[in-house]
Amino acid sequence: MSGISKGGKKDTKMRIRAFPITMDEKYVNNIWALLKNAIQEIQKKNNSGLSFEELYRNAYTMVLHKHGEKLYTGLREVVTEHLINKVRVEVVDALRNNFLQVLNSAWNDHQTSMVMIRDILMYMDRVYVQQNNVENVYNLGLMIFRDQIIRFPLVHSHLRDTLLTMVAKERKGEVVDRGSVKNACKMLMILGIDSRSVYEEDFEKPFLIQSAEFYRLESEKFLAENSASVYIKKVEARILEEAERATHYLDKSTEEPIVKVLEDELIRKHMKTIVEMENSGVVHMLKNNKSEDLACMYKLFCRVPDGLRTMCDCISAYLREQGKALVTEDDNGTNAITFIQSLLDLKDRFDHFLHESFSNDRLFKQMISSDFEHFINLNPRSPEYLSLFIDDRLRKGVKGMSEQEIENVLDKSMVLFRFLQEKDVFERYYKQHLAKRLLLNKSVSDDSEKNMISKLKTECGCQFTSKLEGMFKDMTVSNTIMEEFKHHLQQSVTNLNGVELYVRVLTTGFWPFQSSLSKCNMPSAPNMAFEAFRRFYLGKHSGRQLSLQPQHGSADLHATFFGIKRANTGPMDLVDEGAASSSGKSLRRHIIQVSTYHMVILMLFNKKESWSYDEIKNETDIPERDLMRALQSLALGKITQRVLSKDPKTKDIEPDHMFTVNDQFTSKLFRVKIQSVATKGDTEPERNETRNKVDEDRKHEIEAAIVRIMKARKRLQHNVLVAEVTEQLKARFLPSPVVIKKRIEGLIEREYLSRTAEDRKIYTYVA
Amino acid sequence: MPPRKKRTYATENEPETSSKRLCSKKSADSGFSVKRCTTWFNNYCAENDGSIGPDGIERFCKDLGVEPENIIMLVLAYRMDAKDMGYFTLNEWIKGMTYLQCDCIEKLNNKFDLLNASLSDPVTFKNVYRFAFDFSLENGNRSLDKPTAIALMTLLLDGRWSLFNEFVQFLEQSKFRGINKDQWYNVYEFSRHILPDLSNYDEDGAWPVLLDEFVEWYQQHLSKTSEVGVSI
Repeated sequence: MSGISKGGKKDTKMRIRAFPITMDEKYVNNIWALLKNAIQEIQKKNNSGLSFEELYRNAYTMVLHKHGEKLYTGLREVVTEHLINKVRVEVVDALRNNFLQVLNSAWNDHQTSMVMIRDILMYMDRVYVQQNNVENVYNLGLMIFRDQIIRFPLVHSHLRDTLLTMVAKERKGEVVDRGSVKNACKMLMILGIDSRSVYEEDFEKPFLIQSAEFYRLESEKFLAENSASVYIKKVEARILEEAERATHYLDKSTEEPIVKVLEDELIRKHMKTIVEMENSGVVHMLKNNKSEDLACMYKLFCRVPDGLRTMCDCISAYLREQGKALVTEDDNGTNAITFIQSLLDLKDRFDHFLHESFSNDRLFKQMISSDFEHFINLNPRSPEYLSLFIDDRLRKGVKGMSEQEIENVLDKSMVLFRFLQEKDVFERYYKQHLAKRLLLNKSVSDDSEKNMISKLKTECGCQFTSKLEGMFKDMTVSNTIMEEFKHHLQQSVTNLNGVELYVRVLTTGFWPFQSSLSKCNMPSAPNMAFEAFRRFYLGKHSGRQLSLQPQHGSADLHATFFGIKRANTGPMDLVDEGAASSSGKSLRRHIIQVSTYHMVILMLFNKKESWSYDEIKNETDIPERDLMRALQSLALGKITQRVLSKDPKTKDIEPDHMFTVNDQFTSKLFRVKIQSVATKGDTEPERNETRNKVDEDRKHEIEAAIVRIMKARKRLQHNVLVAEVTEQLKARFLPSPVVIKKRIEGLIEREYLSRTAEDRKIYTYVA
Repeated sequence: MPPRKKRTYATENEPETSSKRLCSKKSADSGFSVKRCTTWFNNYCAENDGSIGPDGIERFCKDLGVEPENIIMLVLAYRMDAKDMGYFTLNEWIKGMTYLQCDCIEKLNNKFDLLNASLSDPVTFKNVYRFAFDFSLENGNRSLDKPTAIALMTLLLDGRWSLFNEFVQFLEQSKFRGINKDQWYNVYEFSRHILPDLSNYDEDGAWPVLLDEFVEWYQQHLSKTSEVGVSI
């Protein structure tokens, strides 16, 4: 119909009626009364008679007509009233009697009814709640429950106490009703709505505090009563227990904090005590090889910050103490072999621990390395001893060791080598020992030797090993030359007077000997033989010089001992030239293996029967020290070695003492080797000499390094230069800043460097 | 200058004329003349090699009114850039005297105070100090022997360095047998920069080992004397 009115005609108003917005008061109240009643019935668990559809519709209507607030407020009132007047009363009544069960069932009932209520009032949830930014129905119910029941002072404290008591009981070993605790915790979690704050406030916090207290007391008790390993096991057990408790019937999220509490109380606060416990702590475990206990401790201490460090420090102290004891010089004279072997054993022990107990933890590995480095360098003779040890292993006659075993030992020795600070000292001794081995033909196998050298090469570079390799080459070349010499002899039919000569030609630069100043008077036969060789060699290599090194040679002599002393003695035959002219019994022939000096001395007795010390000295020109040694081994050694007799029969040697051949000499062996009275290691003066040479070499190395660095960098500040030099040389030895400074000054004086004019602390390279 | 081994050397026909005769009051006011300077030089020099020798220098000093060991002589030598202690060549003489604008003894006398004063200038002093070392070196050596060094140092540093006496004490009892150029230079630097209580001495200061050892010695010395309460 037209709504357009024209003129003053009467309007037929056709209006679309708006939905009645305003309900009248009475209508609203009725709806609310209905709903209120329904809610209360639900709360009384009488919901079966209700119509969901009707209630929903009514709620819907209310909200639609803008009465949401009334509905909401009303809801709150009803729920609150129910909880206060009904539920709370019941709960409070049950304080002493099935408290948790009652509370739990009240909670369950509440949840159930709230769900139903929420379902009815869902429209309000969606519309009114959203628009007005209030809690939704379910959450509202939770909040009311929380505030009116849980946070009601009596209930609150009682709940907390009950829960804590139950936990405490269980810790003591009693059995408790886990289910109810679990429910209570669940409830608290839910009551936090979107956070765990209720659970945390009402339960977890006091729980943690109580636990801390409990374990604090327990730890003290445990520690007082138990050994470290037992304590550790107990701690482990408790941690497991608490973790399990949290998982099973507290809230899972509590696991982490409670474990932390335990770690704190049981471990962290007592770390040092546990580690240092007398007769059961770390040291005890190490001493008695209790790797399993150590492993347990390790696992446990991993949990706390600084736990491992505490263990590590204790172990380090013990290791250093052990190591220091091993490297201290023995008053009776240190045996190099046992010295090194004991260090190797110690390393093996700790490597075993590292592997078995500490799962190759890097912290421990570093600790072991730095400790070894520390104490092995406390004894300045360590490099010498290490070289002697390796020398021993590489010599012939090391029984019962297969190639593989020798290889292992060498590898382990290399580990010790890396710890040495003064590697250049080691190099010097190694050269000396290698030279002796090669010349006296004492190596177990060439392969092992070469193997060792290649290990050193890998470690230190070519410069270290080039000379060693040179020594080997000399040996091979000498063999070749000897072949050629033999050939030459046959061809030229040269007679060496029955002397079988074997010459080794050594290149001076490679071998660690001084060029021999000692010229001793060779007996004629060997001398002539040598001259023949010399002529041969120089014929092949003109321009070279050969000098005989008597201190490094050896000789095999045919010796005849006339058993009975004869009144008219003639010269004794010591070289196999014609038979002895005696017919007396106990004529004995032997071959004696001696050093060159020994030979020179013994050959004298072909000329004259007895010689005084002075006479021998003058005749042979052997240097005094070597002469003494030689005579000592010939005349004052073991009985089976005494080829010579001395008169008077004292231990010392005076210039006027007389030496004669010991005709009573007997030996079971045909070949008798005369041992030199050689000390295994250096004597004191020898050591000093070596040390001086090392220092000399170091001076040169430092200067070379300085010049090298300055040439490259042109200008450098003092501190930086010192640091660079130290860095470059540290693979060989550790130069002290003072020594470096002295070298710098030397170079300034010789005008390789100068100070800059602007800053005297900066040096420049002088081209 | 410190006493120096005198070269044996014939002095014949030493000129007898006193230098005073060559320089009258009038000429003292006139400008510098090379000729006069040369004549003045010839007054002192020995016939043989055209340079003033130790005897000539001694006379020169007497005329000047100073001992040969006076530091003024060192300053003069520095200005002359003289090569050898105890000898002045003509070139050196001319060079030095030209710088000073002196061609006779009066003028030089007038310049006396100036010369002394020039030592207060740190740059000049440093140069003179450094010069003194090379000047005192004997041919071919790189270092001064201990007594020479100490004497030279006394001339230059005594009174200008509070720790000087202690340093000499240290030197004398030390094993160092001589001082090389680097050490010489650094002693001066040390005296200039390091406080008497050694509070600003740092071990990483790239000081020569000589000075490091001096510091060590001095600190021990201090604690000893404070214990015993001895003063020499």
